[in-house]
Amino acid sequence: MKKRHMTALSRRSFLAGMGAVAAGITFMPRRGFGQEEEKLVNFYNWDTYIGETTLGDFQAATGIEVKMDLFADNDELFAKLREGNPGYDLIVPTNDYVERMIVADMLVPLDHSAIPNIENLGEAFRDAEFDPGRKYSLPYMWGTIGIGYRKSALDEVPDSWKWLYDSDKYSGRIALLSDAGTIIQMGLKYLGQPLNATDPELIKQVEEMLIRQKPHIKSFAEDNGQDLLLSGEVDLTMEWNGDILQVMEEDDDLDYVVPKEGGLIWQDCLCIPKGAPHPQNAHALINFILDAEAGRDIAEFIYYATPNAAARALAEDAYKSNPAIFPPDETIAMLEASIYKGEDYQRLVDEAITRVRAA
Amino acid sequence: MDSWRKFPLVFWLFSLPPTLWLLLFFLVPLGLIWLFSFGEKQGIVGIDITWTLANYARALDPLYLQIFVKSFWFAGLTTLICLLVGFPVALAITFAPARWRPVLLLLVILPFWTNLLIRTYALIAVLRTRGFLNDGLEWTWEGANALLTLVGLGDLNLLGERFQPFELLYNNFAVVFGLVYVHLPFMVLPLYAALDRMDKSYLEASLDLGASQLRTFLSVVAPLAMAGIVSGCIITFIPALGSFLTPDLLGGPDSQMIANVIESQFKSANDWPFGAALSFLLMYVTFFVLALRAFMTRGRAGLDAA
Amino acid sequence: MGMRRRRDGIGPLEYTRRAWMRLILLATFVFLYAPIVTLVAFSFNDSRRNIVWRGFTLEYYEKAFNNAGLIEAFVNSLTIAFFSTVVSTVLGALVALKLWRFRFPGKAPYEGAMTLPIVIPEICMGVAMLAFFSRIGWPSGLTWPFNLGAITIAHISFSFPFVAVVVRARLANFNREQEEAARDLGATEWQVFRDIMIPYMKPGLVAGALLAFTLSLDDFVITFFTSGPDTVTFPVKVYSMVRFSVTPEVNAASTILIAITLVLTTIALVLQNRRTTD
Repeated sequence: MKKRHMTALSRRSFLAGMGAVAAGITFMPRRGFGQEEEKLVNFYNWDTYIGETTLGDFQAATGIEVKMDLFADNDELFAKLREGNPGYDLIVPTNDYVERMIVADMLVPLDHSAIPNIENLGEAFRDAEFDPGRKYSLPYMWGTIGIGYRKSALDEVPDSWKWLYDSDKYSGRIALLSDAGTIIQMGLKYLGQPLNATDPELIKQVEEMLIRQKPHIKSFAEDNGQDLLLSGEVDLTMEWNGDILQVMEEDDDLDYVVPKEGGLIWQDCLCIPKGAPHPQNAHALINFILDAEAGRDIAEFIYYATPNAAARALAEDAYKSNPAIFPPDETIAMLEASIYKGEDYQRLVDEAITRVRAA
Repeated sequence: MDSWRKFPLVFWLFSLPPTLWLLLFFLVPLGLIWLFSFGEKQGIVGIDITWTLANYARALDPLYLQIFVKSFWFAGLTTLICLLVGFPVALAITFAPARWRPVLLLLVILPFWTNLLIRTYALIAVLRTRGFLNDGLEWTWEGANALLTLVGLGDLNLLGERFQPFELLYNNFAVVFGLVYVHLPFMVLPLYAALDRMDKSYLEASLDLGASQLRTFLSVVAPLAMAGIVSGCIITFIPALGSFLTPDLLGGPDSQMIANVIESQFKSANDWPFGAALSFLLMYVTFFVLALRAFMTRGRAGLDAA
Repeated sequence: MGMRRRRDGIGPLEYTRRAWMRLILLATFVFLYAPIVTLVAFSFNDSRRNIVWRGFTLEYYEKAFNNAGLIEAFVNSLTIAFFSTVVSTVLGALVALKLWRFRFPGKAPYEGAMTLPIVIPEICMGVAMLAFFSRIGWPSGLTWPFNLGAITIAHISFSFPFVAVVVRARLANFNREQEEAARDLGATEWQVFRDIMIPYMKPGLVAGALLAFTLSLDDFVITFFTSGPDTVTFPVKVYSMVRFSVTPEVNAASTILIAITLVLTTIALVLQNRRTTD
């Protein structure tokens, strides 16, 4: 196996070089608007979600330095930007949050003429229901949510949400994600309902099922389900496919499956928030990320599915043919994308999960 | 104590900077949140101050009251355990030779100087299924098993077939353990301060008059140290009640405390007015506890510094 | 300490020499330090996932030192803590002096208001500062160190009441006769303050400053809400490291922080003990 994605530490020690430059630049006075932008772009991204050398390559190509901050989930991103942009130029929200931010008028329309590499995108990604005409966002990565599991601890492949939601077979060895919306949505899929259902009755059903199942659940993991799996705390966990793939590298005993009832298909997008101090540089960075080779480097490092057809063509076979990254069409047919369902729905699911946890 | 009119210049000098600061950079922001608690969500990020009481009404819903009660329970248990452990420690330090006392105090305070996040994270390594406590217990189990085998009782599997690790993490036990771990230094310091100021001759008198150690302790030491006990309990209870990192990192599906719920209102539920109402409810409860304490120590002779 | 009888064996008040007391003390210290010791020990572990001990290495310390994001966060934390401590100590001392010395109308509510920052749930304050700074249009994108301004202000706001409590406790034992004597001898208010009050307050000021420093260095919740790009502080950075990649690098970073705290505290306490205190 060649260029496996290396440790997050390599990525960090790599960013170190840039950080040193960053520290230097921070001491210099900022220029005001209206002049040419200073050679900096503030990137707010998920953790372990960029290629090993991407940011350095970008700087080498354009002379613009990238400062990358990390956030843990969409809610954190949203909370930070809600009261005004503290200075980020490029952000990576998931599709339903893109929709939400569009409704809340928090994004800047993208100038497609500054991003010629849009041509590299696959046909299916040139447009999106949640952002018609791709006015505000461009796809970065897509993937699924399913079940990561330890093969030797189970006697069969856990290809149903039942094992997480409705069974005591693996009591105490189960972890779910902690995001209220995601938990309810997967529960709805298990019950055979559409993922985006907002009927309070249906949500109540999921809630009651969860209350019954709670004694068997070890943890509602925010983002470290894969670590719990790896360290042996749990044997099954609801997680994003890329996270599980990253730990599968360290432990052959782990595997990933999308349950037969279906799951979530998500798309993380690159957006520019209103009030970004360096919008031009942000466009340049987006263009660079959509480049075929840069895209391939990122995809092979973080092991998520790239919407960049040109990058995918260049990628190694092990990546292209991995069913966990690019699920077969039958599986994709069972998957649904989450849409932004309004603030009342947020309150509804949050309260439902609060009740589950308090029960 | 002078009246402020006697030295007006000095008074205003002392008074203005901190008062202005408190006003501008604390009371005003807090006031903003207080206003929010009477508001309603408008659109996605807007808040309309309509002076509605709906948020408070919702905060008093049994669901949230139940969580308040659970948080009380955790905080109370933590305080009790800290008291039971902290009192002997404070006693030991008070009666230690004079040159040891600063060292011992330093040793107790030092973990407090360490970052809370780091301390909680360190606990994870200790408590998890393949963590140190379980590994240590497993080692003991194997040793005991070996001994039994030696004696010829090995086949009976008296200790079970395999070592079952204890579930010490991601549950309520871990949360209380973590809370005690974090707050113990808070309890020891005021206890020590009070015991230090205690006149030891009372103790000697009591012992001389024939009272047992236990009786002396209950009837003489405890009442004299009461101010310190109350202080210590307050300084432990209030932060424990409002803690959110410990239940977040160490807790299980069951271990939600009120601060976690407040956090999710400001983040995932995106319902700032309701989060504001819950926060203020928590604050009113805290004030109540403080008022209780002021009431209890009112009229006590001597200055209560802590 | 009270009279200790010279007697063979253990005196009735020499609790600390009793075996069971010592046991409790020992057990408590083990309880307090074991997790920290293991944390430090495992920072030398030669294993990425850091679950089982695999061998000794300094590799992760190297990584931590080379992690510019971490270093920057650390420098930010120290800067904020420094400014916060200086201002908090001054403000806290002023409050303590005012409350100790003067009677004035509205004193009780004023004391209550001063304890508000101590009792307020951190998350409430964090959100309050976030809402406040955005609504008054606090400028972002300033140069370092001014971009740390919002966080520093927030830290000062919740630190100085703690300092006030500590200094006030110290002042409570002050015997005003010295002060009166000085006045009788013709000293001005300023001289009284400079030559009598301040020296007396010093241990309280040092203790208060230490407290303010730790509170600032340690703060996570409030900083989280008021920080933005390039104002990441150390706890916030550690939090993101703990959340995702739990490697020995986190341990190494934590150990470094513990070591620095230890050194600073020891220095402060040595300095404090050098002065003669009553």
